[in-house]
Amino acid sequence: MFNPVQFWQRAPSQRPLVVCFGLLFIVLSGVFVLSLLYGAGSVTPSQAWQVLLGHGTDNAYFVVAELRFPRTLVGLTVGIALGLAGALMQAMARNPLAEPGLLGVSAGSSFAVAVALLLGASAATLAMGVAQIGALMGCVFVMAAARLQGQFKDPVRLVLAGAALTSLLTALTSILLMYDQRAADEIRFWVTGSVAGRSLDNLLSVTPFFLLAGALTLYIAKPLASMALGEKVALGLGHNPKTVRYIVMLIVALLAGSATAIAGPIMFVGLVVPFAARAIVGPDIRRTLWMCLPIGPLMIISADILTRLIAQPAEMPLGVLTAIVGAPVLMMIVRAKRLPTLS
Amino acid sequence: MSVSTSSVTPGSSAAPSGQWLLAWGDKTLLLDQAACKRNLLLVLALVLISIVCLGIGTLPVAPTDVILALAGQGDTMTQFVVNDLRLNRLLAGIYTGAAFSIAGCLMQTVARNRLATPGIIGIDNAAMAFAVASVVGVGISFAPSAMALTGAATATALAFIIGGGSGTRGYRFIVAGLAIGSVSAAISQLLLAQVHIDTANEAYPWTVGSLSGRPEEQIPVMGWITLVGIIISVILCRRFQLMAFSDSVITALGRTPNRLRFTAVIVAVILTGFAVALAGPVGLVALVGPEMARTFARHRGLPLLSSALCGAIVMILADLVGRTLLSPIELPVGVVTAVVGGPYLLWILIRKPKRSTL
Repeated sequence: MFNPVQFWQRAPSQRPLVVCFGLLFIVLSGVFVLSLLYGAGSVTPSQAWQVLLGHGTDNAYFVVAELRFPRTLVGLTVGIALGLAGALMQAMARNPLAEPGLLGVSAGSSFAVAVALLLGASAATLAMGVAQIGALMGCVFVMAAARLQGQFKDPVRLVLAGAALTSLLTALTSILLMYDQRAADEIRFWVTGSVAGRSLDNLLSVTPFFLLAGALTLYIAKPLASMALGEKVALGLGHNPKTVRYIVMLIVALLAGSATAIAGPIMFVGLVVPFAARAIVGPDIRRTLWMCLPIGPLMIISADILTRLIAQPAEMPLGVLTAIVGAPVLMMIVRAKRLPTLS
Repeated sequence: MSVSTSSVTPGSSAAPSGQWLLAWGDKTLLLDQAACKRNLLLVLALVLISIVCLGIGTLPVAPTDVILALAGQGDTMTQFVVNDLRLNRLLAGIYTGAAFSIAGCLMQTVARNRLATPGIIGIDNAAMAFAVASVVGVGISFAPSAMALTGAATATALAFIIGGGSGTRGYRFIVAGLAIGSVSAAISQLLLAQVHIDTANEAYPWTVGSLSGRPEEQIPVMGWITLVGIIISVILCRRFQLMAFSDSVITALGRTPNRLRFTAVIVAVILTGFAVALAGPVGLVALVGPEMARTFARHRGLPLLSSALCGAIVMILADLVGRTLLSPIELPVGVVTAVVGGPYLLWILIRKPKRSTL
């Protein structure tokens, strides 16, 4: 039968993927339900539970179905997108620190949104109008970061360049916001990253991008795995490394750009999720990508539940919590005696 | 690093070329002539720029009138504008710019890495987080400075503990600092999200770095701290220069490497802490100031004094740009330095590998 001790004593790359995925999926389902049950408002977990069983008060039904459910669904989507984007970017750059948030992709998206707000868009139509622009900006900045990566052999320097880019774009964003008090008010909560108050419409408007990204990911996983063996091996197996890299960049731009458009810049998720996935199932990108599917939403939704519970009755921004969780992981990776190279 | 003292015996009047020899009793001091001249030039530039800065604004004042007003003459309106409105802001800029820049220069020397400035390794953000905590939570008038100092010290200790294990030379030290910085920034945001929206709005310029509307009683305090910092670092400059050598060389020359580092870091932390409490995290001045000083002063040793002057100049120029460029909207000085300093940092990062790949 299934023996947990024996299971964990295996090397990560020897653990059966189905079992790992199944276990985490069960945990994720539990967290999903918890996210519906707990909130900062007056609806208690037991009232919410009644709603789930089909007979709750109208008020509780509204809170669970109209507020908590969409936000949990948004958390699920954003978690998957950011986790996958991080894993793909790290595999492409062969750099365990490559993360859309750290490298300025999210900052690029916020900048685009700020420009759009300044040009007259409002937060209500934000995801509809600016998702595309945000994704495009994200794409441009991934390209720029990847071009820099060509010159950098040291993975840590890429992060530093990303930090410089982020601080520049943040400064430009705040200059834009200073022009316009209304834009500043609308964007304030968005800038720190949050899954609260997002309707399902926002989610629907970016669904095509996610579907496209998913299809491309299925197509690219195998060539990307062969790249881990070295570019010559990949070439020998019939994959053009350059093409693979461009497609991965496109996927990352789609995923990270859309996620930012819905939830604002959320840092460190793309760093922590692949890190955890690798720790569980080893460095093979095909296995890592599968594991990112449950781990990403697990991180976002748990963090979101915490943001509701810590500062009751107010809420704190989600991006703050992921930074507090993610920065120690960044330190841990950097502290390792030898930087794992992912190649 | 070629301080050519070996050829000079104490008391002899023969100074090496390019140096002045000051002798007082049996104590002697060598001064680099070129460095002195360039520093004098920098002081002159600082004074000129200050006068221009005092004159520019909604009510333009001619440079001669500025000087008259500073001397306590001229009509009352000009005196009010120059002495009461603009002078404090200018002084705050000069003091904090100099403080940030010296701190940056010292940290760069200690870490032997030009990117290891307080802004990048998270000291600024941590000091800010602690200061915000005191503003939001405690509300005692002098508390922000003390809290900022505590925050700066904590972040520095953390950066050295986390990154120090693998040596401060590498980029790991800096990434550890980046992580500390982002956690601190997150905590600042968290604290500001708790308070009333108007309070948060008021605190916003300060959290990105601003010289506008700073509490007047803090400015002279900052002035004294900066002055003491400059004096200490100029006196200890010769010792700090030794940190460029390996530990064994420092020991052979009769200094304790760890004590030297400790002194330098303490001075840097105090200066950064107080500067952040006054002006917010304008960290990139600490990167640009020393770099300018190195380029301009061509100093052979550690350009601490030039750094202070360059930092002050950068700071007041950035503030001038911030308050005139988009007038009547005022850009916080931290935003201006980020727009200037960010590309500069990127350039440092991109340029370096080219050199090393040769």
